[in-house]
Amino acid sequence: MTSRTMIEAKNISKYFEGKIALSSLSFSIQQGEMVALIGPSGAGKTTLLNSIAGIIPFQNGELLIDSRSISSYKKGKVFAKKVGVIRQQFDLIGSIAVIHNVLAGRLADWSLFKSLLSFLVPQEKGMALKALEKVGLSDKMYEITSTLSGGEQQRVAMARLIVQKPEVILADEPVASLDPARAEDVLEMMIKFVAEEKQTLIASLHSVEYARKYFTRIIALKNGEIQFDLPTEKVTDDLLANLYRLKEQE
Amino acid sequence: MLRQVSVVGRYNRLILTLLLTAIFVWSLFSIHWNSDLFHAGGIPTMLQIVEGLIRPDLSTEVLMKGLEAAWITLAYAVAGMSLAVIYALIVGILASGTLTTNRVSRLISKVFFRGILGFTRSIHELIWAWLFVAAVGLSPYAAIFALAIPYGGILGRIFADMLNDVAQEPITALKSTGASKLQILFYGYLPLIWADMISYTMYRFECAIRSSAIMSFIGLGGLGYQIQLSLADLNYDQVWSYVYFLIALVLLVDIWSNFVRKGLTEQKRRKGFSTGWRSSLFALLLIICSWVFITVSEHANLFELLSDKNIQYAKKFFGGLIGVNEKHPAFLDGGSWSAALKLTLETLEMSLIAIGFATIAAFLTVIPAARNIANGSLTSSKRWYSWVLYGFVRLTYIFSRSVPELVWAMMIIFIFKPGILPGAIALALHNFGILGKLWAEVIEDMDPRPIRNLASAGASNIQIFFYGILPTVMPRFLTYILYRWEVIMRTTIVVGFVGAGGLGMEFKLAMSYFQYTEITLLLLCYMILVVIADFASESTRKAVK
Repeated sequence: MTSRTMIEAKNISKYFEGKIALSSLSFSIQQGEMVALIGPSGAGKTTLLNSIAGIIPFQNGELLIDSRSISSYKKGKVFAKKVGVIRQQFDLIGSIAVIHNVLAGRLADWSLFKSLLSFLVPQEKGMALKALEKVGLSDKMYEITSTLSGGEQQRVAMARLIVQKPEVILADEPVASLDPARAEDVLEMMIKFVAEEKQTLIASLHSVEYARKYFTRIIALKNGEIQFDLPTEKVTDDLLANLYRLKEQE
Repeated sequence: MLRQVSVVGRYNRLILTLLLTAIFVWSLFSIHWNSDLFHAGGIPTMLQIVEGLIRPDLSTEVLMKGLEAAWITLAYAVAGMSLAVIYALIVGILASGTLTTNRVSRLISKVFFRGILGFTRSIHELIWAWLFVAAVGLSPYAAIFALAIPYGGILGRIFADMLNDVAQEPITALKSTGASKLQILFYGYLPLIWADMISYTMYRFECAIRSSAIMSFIGLGGLGYQIQLSLADLNYDQVWSYVYFLIALVLLVDIWSNFVRKGLTEQKRRKGFSTGWRSSLFALLLIICSWVFITVSEHANLFELLSDKNIQYAKKFFGGLIGVNEKHPAFLDGGSWSAALKLTLETLEMSLIAIGFATIAAFLTVIPAARNIANGSLTSSKRWYSWVLYGFVRLTYIFSRSVPELVWAMMIIFIFKPGILPGAIALALHNFGILGKLWAEVIEDMDPRPIRNLASAGASNIQIFFYGILPTVMPRFLTYILYRWEVIMRTTIVVGFVGAGGLGMEFKLAMSYFQYTEITLLLLCYMILVVIADFASESTRKAVK
């Protein structure tokens, strides 16, 4: 398989009010990889994901997305084809129907007129239906989004991502607020469609168990530094115990 | 240090309450309390008015006239509100800065458009009306624009605040899908604030009905006009018939708006949109009918409004306002200023007395007016008369707030001699009902657990009120008092029109004698008052928090 480097970080650093949030991180991620980002709270997982998503700027270093510097992506529309984001369930607009939340993933390609028309006559309905079928919610297409349960809303957010079809998917604690059964459900679904579309996935997780079960590679962060970066099968219990050990015990 | 701060913090509400009470008492000293306050025939007139209240004229002729007048009032309110919403949406969105890309342009658009909204809402609708009539003459559009401009200013400001307060997560998510600013507006911001926007607009629509009624002062037909005519003929029984029509109209709008609000919250739980669609269709129908009526039956013509003749008039009027061709403009004259400032002080006192009276009356009545006290769920004690009292007080509130200040003033001026007291009483009468209703809702929304705990500890009702209810609701009560005071401040000038003293009375005189620069001076004083009131109330509100 000829693999392409989707993300390459060279010594990126980030400071929040003088405190180090990310300290000179370097790594590269190939197309099709499934990377879990783990580490204790405040290790910098969300900061790293937000930096890759272009939501917050970093101070030093270089970040290449598909061999282009992130700052060279001037237009949000082009960048949206490269990188898509999914977080906890607060990403949706609660007061509109599910189908419109899903089709929001197409806004980058739509004119303003088409996006307004879609409120009256949903555009590219087939695509939305297909995405909702994949996440098992095709029967809830016209329901108001806020009436759905937390797990269902998270699946709607995934359907949006399926429609948006970015090459890299960044998932920030995608299952944090779900119970174990639903969390596994959502993760399984996500891994499946990412693999089908040959996308690249980077997900931050607080559960080591899920990271080992579903992902091929684990990057561990602690205090803004990379503690280890290994294929899943090489991650030992010792390494993990060390990662989550509190400072006093060191 | 920390301890000290908390001590000050603990007492600042008490200090503030004492301070506000002192200000109120001071304002009372501005009135000479003696029998001179009444007209010679004041008391008998009052009895006649009360008699009319109990036995209104219900003849077919009056009822038919009332129906027609009610429709006119409604149609103008609808037309004015429809324009106000358009204005509020456009300027409100611009003022929120959601469409701007960088920090500098956001700041500029915020300051500029918020300034416009602030200016348009700081001037009372009747003043706008008067200015339009003076500039271009009596036209249905004068009334419609006079309603649309200040209401648009209020709505726009609230819309902008709502847009600025939306949750950021869904917006960030939309941004990461590559949506443009306008797409984010339509797919993110607007759907997120939709429900709040509609319910606030409905609430304002109720106020617009009252404002539309008082447009009679610039010669617009409708309920206000009929009330004015009947008062002039001393037909108090007819006055009340039309007042009842007005109350009924306000109540109908209130019921509709409750219905819409209920539909909006339920829509989140149920699927479908039916109640929403029905209300939207009804609203659309109402808007179309109102505009058709105004253009066809009332002969409103926008182009006529912009005729050369009218433009000449407007030029002359506004030129006069800024003192063109005037050797001694009043706003550059020391003597005129000192006279105007004296009136300004009087107006300020009037507003203070008004809010003081309204507060006292609402305070004495609010406890039985709360549903959770009437049904005993808050204090777990129930008396046989609770519901009777509840119904009676709530009815008084509806009655008091449905009648515009100006209509109250027109009646009260028959009893009292001109001065600031009748104005203050008229303002208090209208605001007492609003304050009572708002306060009762605060009590109804209270967390009942601490109160029940007090009750089960054996506290009496009075003890429960002072130990449980009052401390909890006090900050919100104060907020509402200050908020209503701001509104009263804007309205003082209007009750002055009918001879209730202050700046308004002088304003009307200056208008009648075409003393344009005097008008400018009085408007300046009025704006100063409004700005002071806004500033004082906002900083006090912050102190309470």
